Amino acid sequence: MEKNYKKIMMILGAVALIGALAWGYQLYRGLIVTNMRNPFSWGLYVAMWAFFVGTAAGGLVVSSAIYLFKAKQLKPIAKVASLTAFIFSMGAMIILLPDIGRPERLYHMILHPNFSSMLPWDFIVLSAYSLVSAVYSYVLMRTDIMEKGVKLPFIGLVMKKDVSGEQLAAIREQSEKYAKCLAPVALPLAILIHTVTAWVLATQLSRPWWYGGVLAPTFIAAALATGPAIVILASMVAFGYKEKLKDTYALLAKVSAIASIIMLFIYYNDFMVRYWWRTGKEFEALKMVFTHYPLLHITEVVFILLAVYLFFKYPREKKGLIQGSLSITIGVFAHRFLLIPPAYNLIPLRVPVITHRETVEWAYPIAVGEVRGSLLNPEPVFSSFWKYTPSLAEVAITAGVVAVIGLIFMCLINVLPVKEAE
Amino acid sequence: MPKFGMVIDLNRCIGCRSCAVVCKIHNSLPPGTWWQRVETVGSTEHMVPSGENPDVSETFLPVPCMHCENAPCVKACPVGATWQREDGIVLVDYERCIGCRYCMTACPYGVRQFNWQDSRASFKEGFKAAGFEEDWFKDKEYRYGYPFDHKTGDGRIVYTPKRPKGVVEKCTFCVQYVDKGLLPACVRGCSGNARTFGDLNDPDSDISKILRGRNVFKLLADLGTEPKVFYIAPTRKEGKGGINYGKEL
Ligand code: SF4
Ligand code: SF4
Repeated sequence: MEKNYKKIMMILGAVALIGALAWGYQLYRGLIVTNMRNPFSWGLYVAMWAFFVGTAAGGLVVSSAIYLFKAKQLKPIAKVASLTAFIFSMGAMIILLPDIGRPERLYHMILHPNFSSMLPWDFIVLSAYSLVSAVYSYVLMRTDIMEKGVKLPFIGLVMKKDVSGEQLAAIREQSEKYAKCLAPVALPLAILIHTVTAWVLATQLSRPWWYGGVLAPTFIAAALATGPAIVILASMVAFGYKEKLKDTYALLAKVSAIASIIMLFIYYNDFMVRYWWRTGKEFEALKMVFTHYPLLHITEVVFILLAVYLFFKYPREKKGLIQGSLSITIGVFAHRFLLIPPAYNLIPLRVPVITHRETVEWAYPIAVGEVRGSLLNPEPVFSSFWKYTPSLAEVAITAGVVAVIGLIFMCLINVLPVKEAE
Repeated sequence: MPKFGMVIDLNRCIGCRSCAVVCKIHNSLPPGTWWQRVETVGSTEHMVPSGENPDVSETFLPVPCMHCENAPCVKACPVGATWQREDGIVLVDYERCIGCRYCMTACPYGVRQFNWQDSRASFKEGFKAAGFEEDWFKDKEYRYGYPFDHKTGDGRIVYTPKRPKGVVEKCTFCVQYVDKGLLPACVRGCSGNARTFGDLNDPDSDISKILRGRNVFKLLADLGTEPKVFYIAPTRKEGKGGINYGKEL
C-alpha cells in the first residue's frame, strides 16, 4: 500500500509538473499554442470546466442528503464525498486560469464585476461552493481531528487535543448539529453551481446549440450521474472495497443510474424538438452533431448506457461498480466535450441565399487570427468551419490540472482522519 | 450627444476590399486579424458569383462591428472591459480585458478578434510567410498605422498600435479619428463611396437623410441586437450606377 501510494504520487507529480511547464510555455507564447482560434474561441479547457463543475456536485449532494433525506447509509462516506466536492470545485476554477489570456488581471472580476454577465455569478457560486464544502468537510471531521490529529509530513501530528470521551461525545453531537444546519445551504448551492454554469452557455442567443431552457436540467442530471460515480471511485481509493459499505455503494450506483436515464431523456427530448422542424439554426446544430461529430455522440450514449446497465446489474460488486463509474465518467466527459464544437462551427452570422428553387443559409466566414500558409501555398485566412482537436499544450495542461486534483485528494485522505469509516 | 452609425449601400459596393485593407493599415492590425471583412454572399471564394448559370448573383457584403445598441458582447463581458460609450460606439479597454473570450461567444457577427500571441511575433511570421527572409520591421517598436495610443475621456485605452497578447479587439469605428471629428478610415477609403458615417440623432446629418424613408435592413435583426450599421439592399442594376441619392448628396 505504502509503495503503491508513493508510486501513484510520483506519477501524478510528474504529470502535474509537465502541465505546469506547458502552462508556463503557454503564458510565454500566448494562446497561439492551443488549437483554438477566432471562429472556435473556447475549447477543451471550457469543456473541462463544465465537467469539473458536474463532478463537484455529487459530493455535497451526498453529504447533505444524509441530513435532508435521512439517507443514513451514506454517512460513512460523507467525509470523502465532501472532500471531492471541495477539490472538484477548486478544479473547475483552476482549469479556467489557462483559458484566460490575461490571468494576472483577474482581480478586475472583483473590482469591476459586470453583473449582467453570468461569469461573475458563476465565480461567486463556485467560490461559495468550495468554501461551504471545505467548512462542511471540517465539521464532519472535527471530532476525529481532535481524537486522532492531522498527520502532516515532516511536522508530525498536529491539532490533536487531549479530551475525554465524554467531551468528545459532546463535540460530536455539536458537529452533528452544525452539519444539519449546513445541509440546507449546501444542497441548493450544489444545484446552483450547475444552473449558473449552464446559464453561462444557455443565455447565448447566438449559439443555438446551447440556447434554451433544457441545458440547466441536463447539467444537473449529468452532475447527479457523475457525482456519485466519482464519490464511489474516491471512497474506493480511500477505503478500498469494504463489505460494510455495500449498501452505500449500491445506493450511490442507483442514484447515478437513474440520473443518467433522466439526463438522456432530457437530452433526446431536446433532440426531438430540434429534429421535428427540419430547418432553422436549432436543427442545423443538431445536424452538425450527426454529420460531423457522430463518434462523440456515440461515445457519450454508449458509455452512459453501459454504466446504467452495470449499475443496475452489479450494484454490489466491486468490478461492476468500478467499471460503471469509469464508464459514466467517460460518457459524461464526451457529453461535455460535445458542448463545444456544434456551438462554434455553426457560425451565427448566416445569410439566406434565395433562388427560385430553394433557400440556403450561407455562413459568413470569420478571420482565423493567425498567419496561415505561405506565399506559394496560401491558405484561407477566413474560415467557416474550424476543425478543432486540442493541441498538445492543451492536453498537457488539462492533464496537469487533473493530476493536481488527484495529488491534493491523495494528500488530504492521507493526512486527514477520513480513513476509518465509522 | 451624438449617436454614431453607418449605412452601407450594397448597390455601390464593388467588393474591392479597400475598406478591409485601409482598416488594417490604419488600425495597425496584426497579420491574420481582420476587423472588416468583405465576402461574396453564398460563395466560397470572394468575387465568384453564387448559384448556377443563368441563375447567378454576386452580392458583396462588408461586415464591420455593428456597434449594437443592445450589444450582447457588452452584456457578456464579466469585467466591463467591453462597454458602450454614450455616443453609441462599443469599445474594448485594452488594459482591463482579461481575455476570457466570452464576448466572442456572445457576438453573433463574428467580428471579435483575439490576440492569440504578441503582435510582434505575428508580424515576424507574416513576413516569413510572405517570403521575406529578413524581418522588415527591424525597429521592434515600429508598427504601421495610427502611431499613438488613444484614450477615451475617462482615460481608458481603446487603441494602441502595439497590441498586447491575450486581449480581444475589434472594429472601433476608428475611434481615434472620430474623436477628432474625422471619418472612419473605411468610409474615407471606400472606392465606391458605399459608406456613410454620421450622427443618427442629428436629423440633418447625411446618414439620417439617407435612412429617412428608405428601405434599409440590418443583419440578424431577429436577434434584437439593434445594430447601428444599416444596409441598403442591392437592386437589379440597369445601366451604370443604379441608385441615385439626389442632389443634396
Ligand atoms: S457586432 Fe459583435 S462586437 Fe460589435 S457590438 Fe455587436 S455584439 Fe458587440
Ligand atoms: S475577452 Fe475581454 S472584452 Fe471579451 S468578455 Fe472577456 S474581458 Fe470582456
